[in-house]
Amino acid sequence: MKNLISLLELRKGERGVIVSIKGGRGVIQRLSDMGLTPGTEVSITNSVSFGPVEISVRGSKLAIGRGIAMKILVERK
Amino acid sequence: MEKKLTIALAGNANVGKSVIFNYLTGLHQHIGNWPGKTVEKAEGTLYHEGYTIDVIDLPGIYSLSTFSIEELISREYIAKEKPDIVINVIDSTAPERNLFFTLQLLELGRPMIVALNQMDLAKKKGISINIKKLEKSLGIPVIPVIATQGEGVHDLIDESIKLVKKEYKKPKKIKYGKEVENEIQKLIKRLDNIDLDYPKRFLAIKLLEGDEEIKKMIEEVDPKIIKIAEKHAKKIECIHGHFRSTIIACERYKIANDIVRGCVVFGAPKVSLSDKLHELTVHKIWGYPIMIFLVLSLFFVVFNVGNFFSENLLNVFMNLESVFEEYFGNEIASKLAFGVFEGLVAGITIVIPYILPFYIVLGLLEDSGYLSRIAFLTDNLMHKMGLHGKAFIPMILGYGCNVPACLGCRIMETQRERLIAIFVTTLIPCAAVTTIILGLVGRYVGIGWVFLLYVINLMIVFILGRLAFKILPGEPTGLIMEMHSYRMPHLNTVLKQAWFRIKDFIYIAFPLIIICSFLIKVLEVADLLRFLENLMMPITVDWLGLPPSSGIALIFGIPRKELTLIILAARSGTTNFAEIFTPIQMIIFSLVTMLYIPCIATVAALIKEIGWKKALFITIFEIFFAIAVGGLAFRLS
Repeated sequence: MKNLISLLELRKGERGVIVSIKGGRGVIQRLSDMGLTPGTEVSITNSVSFGPVEISVRGSKLAIGRGIAMKILVERK
Repeated sequence: MEKKLTIALAGNANVGKSVIFNYLTGLHQHIGNWPGKTVEKAEGTLYHEGYTIDVIDLPGIYSLSTFSIEELISREYIAKEKPDIVINVIDSTAPERNLFFTLQLLELGRPMIVALNQMDLAKKKGISINIKKLEKSLGIPVIPVIATQGEGVHDLIDESIKLVKKEYKKPKKIKYGKEVENEIQKLIKRLDNIDLDYPKRFLAIKLLEGDEEIKKMIEEVDPKIIKIAEKHAKKIECIHGHFRSTIIACERYKIANDIVRGCVVFGAPKVSLSDKLHELTVHKIWGYPIMIFLVLSLFFVVFNVGNFFSENLLNVFMNLESVFEEYFGNEIASKLAFGVFEGLVAGITIVIPYILPFYIVLGLLEDSGYLSRIAFLTDNLMHKMGLHGKAFIPMILGYGCNVPACLGCRIMETQRERLIAIFVTTLIPCAAVTTIILGLVGRYVGIGWVFLLYVINLMIVFILGRLAFKILPGEPTGLIMEMHSYRMPHLNTVLKQAWFRIKDFIYIAFPLIIICSFLIKVLEVADLLRFLENLMMPITVDWLGLPPSSGIALIFGIPRKELTLIILAARSGTTNFAEIFTPIQMIIFSLVTMLYIPCIATVAALIKEIGWKKALFITIFEIFFAIAVGGLAFRLS
């Protein structure tokens, strides 16, 4: 059984595979345009307490606000 | 006959498009807005081999969907204006995400060239790209470029001319996965009788994605097709179990990934200086002191340089003033002419010493990549006022001067975020307002009260920001931002961009400043100031509890806030403000000045950025708000 957690629960250096993203159409569209589609592997490269997380995805680095990161569900790898 | 050619530059943000644009067009460029939109349009011209080549720098975007107005403008431009060539600028360090956009551009069916930029950075990261193979996979020419050194930029033009000269043959279609491709083909057949600017394949894909704009367009011609498309989309949603637009994005990324696997080799990346700098500047502890230090010192330098130039320029004009009087005497006509002259002086002494340097700093911060680190660090704080990290810098700029702050709000992505950010920055006390507060409250009441005023102001900013966030329609979006590697900012591009942007602003601001200054002069010459003072008394005296002369001071503050105190002193015949105001009156007067109206140059910036209707609304709102807050403070005291 898949063990789903939010992107926020991954620690720095950990990797996960995106399973699904909750949220409004615009945000989902934007995230998939930036390369965050289901099945994509991401790794956490940095995070600020109570602030955004920095992830590495498809060879580029993205900063994702906390509210959005919470809605990205991943499977720990 | 003159040979003409139009080239559009398209690509992700921060890929070096504007460096290529500047390299090609040099000083033959113009930065304005897209008609009716508040999105920047950069156009330029170059002459090459008998061709007059118009170059359009499209906004930096990641997709051709409808997330932002920039995306909509870009695709409409390419489909309707049909540029002869589209040059797709790609960041070689992130090929997959960039190719995702290339695939969409190809669907618009214009002749295309790929400019593979930042090849030097890619090499440092251990990425090597096989150009021949990439050309074959995409079916279009690929030119390696290092824009910052000008390498390969002219090859782009040569290739474009070559492409125009020979007969255009369409590159082979890049096919999606079987299930999706089947539905696309079926939909294309249904579109036989549809004649729109967009290619049929593009329309079919967008219909499957559920693109609202395209749906609207098709609905007008044949509403039946929408229903059919809906059926097809449901089918693929059933097969894949995701949202329709997500499925299409997945498919595109799969193609991009396949291409990258075939043409790109990733070596072991070396840890570079830029990586180390990155680690340090986004560190959860060290990141903050470094940021505060850097931002403060930058502002200190810019501000002092600005002050120096402003004062010297003002001195030069003061000398001209006496010359002016000698020649034209003190007749009414020459007094009025002098009003125009004063407006011009106000414009010049604000724009050149303050706005331009602040704008350059903003450009340097953005181009080097530090701006995105600041946004990363401040995101949490900015969320409290309904914004996200990207708005931090415009807000901070506001403490220097509201004009570059407003213009800088362009870095916000959606119209909604831009509007909130702009609104919030106009409430920030700029340097001129600080002078007033220090000159009154700081000098006569105490520095603690100055501090309190700033705290009150911040509280107001937070509350009104949140309120705007709640009230404004549209989907609130958080921070989704690319953090590209640090790089040396391309000074030439930053300077040129700052200058051409300011130029566009000057056309709006100067007439406004001059008209405003002229009108005030008319009032003065017609001896209506006393009348106006009396007219304002219900507000100034009865409601705010201020002396009558403060009304005129507030009016003179509209073209230039610095004038407020000068006029007050002149009309009261003393520079000892303690004789004019009680301490409480000083605090109330400062509070009102802080909030009542952005100066006329800022109003001009507002008009440029959000249109005159919203600009007028914000201006009027702030006048009433300032009066309300001032009156409340008076009653509480």
